[in-house]
Amino acid sequence: MSERPVSYEDVTGTLRERATEALGDEQLRTNLRASAGSWAAGRKRMDEQYPFQEMREKGREIRTRAVAELPQLLDQLEENLTATGGVVYRAADAAAACRYVVELAQREGADLVAKSKSMATEEIKLNEALEEAGLRVVETDLGEWIIQLAGQHPSHIVAPAVHLNREEVADLFEQESGGPVENEREALVAHARQRLREVFATAQIGVSGVNLAVAESGTICVVENEGNGRLVTALPRIHVAVMGMERIVGSWEDAAHILELLPMAAIGDDAAGYVNLITGPRRPDETDGPEQFHLVIVDGGRSALRGGPFEEILNCIRCGACLYACPMWKSVGGQAYGSPYSGPIGAVLTPVLEGPHASSAGQLPHFSSLCGACHEACPVGIPIHDLLVKARGQATEQRPRSERVGMWLWSRLWSNPVAYGIGRRLARAGARVLGRRGWIERLPGPAGAWTSQRDVPTTWPPKPPSS
Amino acid sequence: MATEAAQQLIAALTRRRASGAVVSADEVVAALDRQLDAWNVTRVVLADDPLLEQLGVADALGGDRREVLTWPPRLGARELLGLEGPAATCGVSVSVAAVAPRGTLMLAASTGQGRALDAAAAYHVSLVPDDRLHDSLAGALGQVYREGPPPSALSLVSAPSRTSDIEKISTLGAHGALGLHALVIAG
Amino acid sequence: MRALLMRTCLVDHAAPSVGRAARVVLERCGVDVVEPRGQTCCGQPAWTAGYPDEARRVASHTLQVFAGEDPVIVPSGSCAAMIRHAYPEAFAGTPDEDAARQMADRTRELTQFLAEHGLNPGCSHRGSVTYHDSCHMLRLLEEKESPRTAMAGASGIELREMEATDVCCGFGGVFSVNYPEVSGRLGEEKARHAAATGADELVSCDVSCLLHIAGRAHRTGTPLRVRHLAEVLAE
Repeated sequence: MSERPVSYEDVTGTLRERATEALGDEQLRTNLRASAGSWAAGRKRMDEQYPFQEMREKGREIRTRAVAELPQLLDQLEENLTATGGVVYRAADAAAACRYVVELAQREGADLVAKSKSMATEEIKLNEALEEAGLRVVETDLGEWIIQLAGQHPSHIVAPAVHLNREEVADLFEQESGGPVENEREALVAHARQRLREVFATAQIGVSGVNLAVAESGTICVVENEGNGRLVTALPRIHVAVMGMERIVGSWEDAAHILELLPMAAIGDDAAGYVNLITGPRRPDETDGPEQFHLVIVDGGRSALRGGPFEEILNCIRCGACLYACPMWKSVGGQAYGSPYSGPIGAVLTPVLEGPHASSAGQLPHFSSLCGACHEACPVGIPIHDLLVKARGQATEQRPRSERVGMWLWSRLWSNPVAYGIGRRLARAGARVLGRRGWIERLPGPAGAWTSQRDVPTTWPPKPPSS
Repeated sequence: MATEAAQQLIAALTRRRASGAVVSADEVVAALDRQLDAWNVTRVVLADDPLLEQLGVADALGGDRREVLTWPPRLGARELLGLEGPAATCGVSVSVAAVAPRGTLMLAASTGQGRALDAAAAYHVSLVPDDRLHDSLAGALGQVYREGPPPSALSLVSAPSRTSDIEKISTLGAHGALGLHALVIAG
Repeated sequence: MRALLMRTCLVDHAAPSVGRAARVVLERCGVDVVEPRGQTCCGQPAWTAGYPDEARRVASHTLQVFAGEDPVIVPSGSCAAMIRHAYPEAFAGTPDEDAARQMADRTRELTQFLAEHGLNPGCSHRGSVTYHDSCHMLRLLEEKESPRTAMAGASGIELREMEATDVCCGFGGVFSVNYPEVSGRLGEEKARHAAATGADELVSCDVSCLLHIAGRAHRTGTPLRVRHLAEVLAE
């Protein structure tokens, strides 16, 4: 396991406390509803235009095959990329990956790093490592930059600043620039464009993520809509790309399919604005592009998942669709999860990457009603709801003693019809004692959690509220 | 057939607030000129591509209204980004292939326009000969990869620069081109 | 035709009239209904909480009680989904593997069974209802149509679809007590959507969701009547 946990270390309180707090944030909930709504509308258009179910099946097949062939594909990628003059570094964990990039920056005398959006660098906490080493790191994806200025963590894989409104953004921009900033959307975007151009022009190192690597040609794909991904990978003298080791396919044909699926699932559009397919550094006959290209491939607990019960989580293409589809994420947003990966995928991925004994394992997988909307939305058909159940099973020792003892006792009583019958009569008797006008308002013991939010009918059908 | 694909390409681009037109080879220069005027472009950087040379674009677009340069333009990143010199720069590229139904243009670094011209400049026009239109991404990529080793950078461009990071409403001009125009050359 | 009725634990404890209604519906369709003695629970509460051993202990008992060749009918999308979707996995590699698969194959949710055999209980109820698509019914059994087919078969029932009928009500088994605040909020939204249709009552194929939605509606003062769909069909 990694020396650095995937979860954020500065997050306080329990998941339940953070989620409950988020429920009270009306602005947040309005933004979440709007963003999930616009995603759903786009997704519906895609369903009408394309045979999404067939594409999903094919996507699943491609990803499953790639994960099965992972070691060979990574060797092939490394061989082909090295032949173009690129450098490949395989990092066993987050700490090793960060060390590599920090040492590279120091060796090259860099002081400014421009970043495009990357979940892998968020996972390994690369920004913190570079800043600790005295470098200035600037996120250039607009949402990520806003989050960076706010000193917060992203809320969504694709839409990191979905929890903030434009007044809040304008305040952040004013603090950063020291001048007045109009709080209109176009003006805010234009302001960021102007401020960040200086960063693109002067950064010595550009850091990007990798949406997908193609083994047969040694190519990485960076998918984006703003153009910052291109500028970060093309203008600085050194380009460092950081990828989770599973984000690879073998052939161009497979890559084309995943690149078609990704924007459909992520933003409800049939193409992303920019897809940057990069095969090594500047070539001798070329006049632009980085002189050095480094690909950092992060394991961070992934190889241990192959062949195990959570292998299918490696099929994930990080589109964020399961977040938008999830009633829990839509209710509280991503920050409550306390990890770069939020929503259903995060509730599986974070504990399985950190290991069953991590602090997240006992909480995150339980933050789901197992409604299955995540599986339905997933463009590569990952049965996330089933994996959530498995992840729960891996961390029962972290659950409250009352739950563990309760389950043990329950299973013995309810596998015995006599005990079951007695329990049923006791429950009826209890309902008669506790009920008032057909309803129970407070149950004793652990059952009190139920009545903290709901009344319990003592008759069926329940008596409606007398009004 | 080619016209239908060209219309598909333009329709898809238009949905993403780009624009485009189908023109004959004779009409390219005039269409380009109109688009540059519409954007008030004062400097043009042309890809070093035989097609542009053949059409005589460099000579035709010049004059006192705007400066016309050819790749590599001897401009630094600061100038391309508009931090120095005129801010209204337009990159003119030639697509090596395109995906008609999805409205995707493909630019290869190796074909005389480098890696960032279209995204660093404020505006972008791309010329697409209609025999380079494909009906799928796999088909378009297949064409590029059959022609030789993969280019060091292949850029798929399907929209002007856009972001939905502020209140989830799509807004143009985040970092890349503020405007994107495709000219499909028929015949 | 003979069929085994699995009432489910929740019906036994909180809504016995649903078990009786399911029986009436089936008998009116000419089904010879047997309610095996000693039945308890499908084991789902422990399975979804992450306690497979405990779940298997209860589920093994259920396998024995419902042994045989007859179809098993359950007035719950969720319990039917547990048996159809999870039993084969829960018992994989155990001596009960074959029995689990066999039971999964012959188990149906009540309206699913009616639709499959083209049965109509001849419901005489008159009134408007709105229907909540419970998640396991909708996404694990992939049954959106069968309850609607059953309602359409009763000329006196007017179905008024609510907004977001396919969004989870927030019950989610142990989720409802582990994260009661979020669960409660979702229940409230569901109750509001249901009430907004102006239908006489909210029906569903799962008592679990209804207990949660009705309980939250009562707590927050949202006027809402709820019944299991079987109770309506049995009239």
